[in-house]
Amino acid sequence: MDGPDGSAGAAGGPPRVLLHEVSKRYGPVSAVDSVSLSIGAGEVYALLGLNGAGKTTLLRLLLGMVRPSGGTAALLGRPVGDRRTWARVGYLVETPSAYPELTVRENLEVVRYLRRLPDRTAVDDAVERFGLTAYADRRARALSLGNLQRLGLAKALLHRPELVVLDEPVNGLDPAGVAEIRALLAGLAREHGATVLLSSHLLGEVARIATRIGVLHEGRLVEELDAAALARRVHRHVRVTTRDDARAADALTRAGLAPRRVPGAVLLEDAWSRDRPDAVATVLVRSGVPPTGLAVVQEDLESHFLRVVGADPAGSPGDR
Amino acid sequence: MTGDLSAALRAEALKVRRSRVPWATGAAMVLAGLVSAFFLFVLQDPARARELGLLGAKAQLAGGAADWAGAFSLAAQVVAVGGLIVFGTVALWLFGREFSDRTAKDLLALPVPRRAVVLAKLVLGLAWCLALTVLLLGTVLASGALLELPGWSPSTALQGAGTVLATAALTAGLATTYGLAASVGRGYLPAVGVLFLTVLAAQVVAAVGYGAWFPWAVPALLAGTAGPGHPAPGAAGIAAVVLLAAGCSAATAVWWERADHST
Repeated sequence: MDGPDGSAGAAGGPPRVLLHEVSKRYGPVSAVDSVSLSIGAGEVYALLGLNGAGKTTLLRLLLGMVRPSGGTAALLGRPVGDRRTWARVGYLVETPSAYPELTVRENLEVVRYLRRLPDRTAVDDAVERFGLTAYADRRARALSLGNLQRLGLAKALLHRPELVVLDEPVNGLDPAGVAEIRALLAGLAREHGATVLLSSHLLGEVARIATRIGVLHEGRLVEELDAAALARRVHRHVRVTTRDDARAADALTRAGLAPRRVPGAVLLEDAWSRDRPDAVATVLVRSGVPPTGLAVVQEDLESHFLRVVGADPAGSPGDR
Repeated sequence: MTGDLSAALRAEALKVRRSRVPWATGAAMVLAGLVSAFFLFVLQDPARARELGLLGAKAQLAGGAADWAGAFSLAAQVVAVGGLIVFGTVALWLFGREFSDRTAKDLLALPVPRRAVVLAKLVLGLAWCLALTVLLLGTVLASGALLELPGWSPSTALQGAGTVLATAALTAGLATTYGLAASVGRGYLPAVGVLFLTVLAAQVVAAVGYGAWFPWAVPALLAGTAGPGHPAPGAAGIAAVVLLAAGCSAATAVWWERADHST
């Protein structure tokens, strides 16, 4: 895996997205601070960050919507802003939007005109691909949030782009829709070699879809790693509740474990406990303090971020 | 650029066709034409005009005689005053809707350049204003024929329609101000504010005698709103409107191309 040095795409070949120390300041506020990254063909790269971390600003910078205060950015081998690039890029930034008085099909026709696509079947194809057939002649103002999101994705992918930039692509979708879009994006990358750059604040979703993840915090790229490495780094622990936590902690200590008591629960943070929660339950049952609750808890994104930036005041991942 | 403009025009035309705003602006112009016809109807019958008192006096001030020349003059004044509001609404809707509907961001990274989208909106806006003017003229012609107005001649019609169209062209040029205001202000509201401000300023500036130099007062003076004693605006006033329209159009294109679109 490449580090954020901007030298080459992680999947080999020339990078499709190349940022070198890109910054964006609004007066005294630094929205994006010296970010460098390189994304290659076939990658699904997720920008992960809390609200206000700078994800959307970074995507807007890439799409030429805002000008960087410093640094350089290139897409598909050309500087950002080169108009020839846009025919090969599809995007969905922030909340999906559509002309409310136009139908789904007409909204896609507008995009087809503006993308200068001669193929009239592209619209029908997109309607079908994104499960919008039943709503094709419905005005956009009457769509649910989920279907509006589908329309936004259909607009972004109408022309089967080589680079797809998506801001929170599964927002508003139901679980079936999330799975559908996840499969579609993975298929785009795997089968068509498309590069997908997406932003999200949903740790679990990102872990399932991305091949590489960049953690953005206060405008800075503070961590960059592949999906497997993220799963290893995210803290997990076993949370046990019993009718007598003091006795439970004693029993677990006698069993050679290192329980930590917090109000209303006992935590086990060692790898053995995480991998064998059933054995933890057996220890407690045999000691006469059967668990009333036992769960392997993964720290949430906020906890992970706080730890990554060295500011975890609670010192108790996932327990807040 | 021709292909880009044609593509952008097709997209804009589809959006306009599906909107209710063209119908609303069309209805406003027909209504204005019918109000003009009512004034002419009142002027036709002095006894009725006297019975109506103030309304009769006002009609006399604004339109003059109840003949075809008076009908065209009244139509030109409708375009100059009411047209600024209606044409302004067209321009601020064409640009402002992209921000109210949050669709502006979808126009920014496309094979069709942003300036082509801006140009398409301006061209379509101009065509729309022309269509509204033709609609008003049609209403005036139909109502004039119904009222059997005297004084019809091809030269009167040509001159009258020419003044109406010239006034409409200048008013449509001024409407570019509101397209720029809706863009920079990212929505309808700032543009509506600018519209009211300019309409008010035109009244005040014209009242103190400098209307011939103030672009927003020029079409009204050309239409003869100030009355027969006031001369029509000169070439300088008309040049000021043309320069303002060109400047606002260029500034709108530059703004879309170069501004930070962070919302």
